[in-house]
Amino acid sequence: MEKKGIEIRLPDLGEVDEVRVVQWLRGLGDPVAADDDLLEVETEKTTFVVPAPADGRLAEIAAREGTTVERGGLLGRIERAK
Amino acid sequence: MGGSSGRNSSALHLPLGRADYGWTLDLQRTLHARRRAGATPDIVITVEHNPVITLGRSGSREHLLAPPSDLRREGIEVFEVERGGDVTYHGPGQLVVYPIVDLREHGRDVKGFVRRLEDATIATLADLGVEAGRMAGYPGVWVSDRKVASIGVYVSGWVTRHGLALNVAVDPAHFAMIRPCGLPVETVSIRDVLGRAVPLDGVRDGLLGRLAERFGWDLEASSLVEVLGGASG
Repeated sequence: MEKKGIEIRLPDLGEVDEVRVVQWLRGLGDPVAADDDLLEVETEKTTFVVPAPADGRLAEIAAREGTTVERGGLLGRIERAK
Repeated sequence: MGGSSGRNSSALHLPLGRADYGWTLDLQRTLHARRRAGATPDIVITVEHNPVITLGRSGSREHLLAPPSDLRREGIEVFEVERGGDVTYHGPGQLVVYPIVDLREHGRDVKGFVRRLEDATIATLADLGVEAGRMAGYPGVWVSDRKVASIGVYVSGWVTRHGLALNVAVDPAHFAMIRPCGLPVETVSIRDVLGRAVPLDGVRDGLLGRLAERFGWDLEASSLVEVLGGASG
């Protein structure tokens, strides 16, 4: 089963090993544009808003609110507009 | 580390003097949007707040030790805000610094940004004769096991807001209202370490110099009218 779309991964934030997902700012199925604010993660006194990697539609939320994600971990997926 | 090599970039210092937290929060959000749009260079806001308590994204009202009725009587508002971290007190005698900085121009290093704030604070304290340091896993600046500066940052579009609060000469009774960062730790002011009064403006100017070194800034004093550039309203 191959999953289509563009992966949303936790960017390299420097010496940060893991983050907690605070909240998604867009819902499943919502249209998004590249660099839009997509979700908030928090680590050691810093809230970081992960930007959308591409234009499209939010097709999958892989890391739910309250879960922990490691460096480079999968957060979700964007389906390109056809 | 720091801006010892290469050219410096210009940045603005916006001194607000004493200002309410809510008003300053609105201003931060406005300037953050302008920085994100590339309409201004990096901006460093400095301010001393009227007494207020803020809760970050990890914040718990259980870490508010004073009952809500006491806070109301004292006229102390509680704000839930987007920065990282738990509960923080701001008030007179505390130097608050909000760097509105585009991290894309500073190596896209979020952890490095926090470390530079800590390093600049530690250097400023050393200049005053106060030995301070970091504590692994607990961002902020510490004088042995007492917290002298708190950090809480928000980054969107790779641009920062919120920042650093350094206790210069804070009323200790006000710290008793909270459990800082949700930890059973003590808070301390520079005045209490040195046993003498230290003017806040002098600490501010020292810290601005140390920040400018680490971020490679040529810092220029600015004003509200100038940074809002006619786009206020």
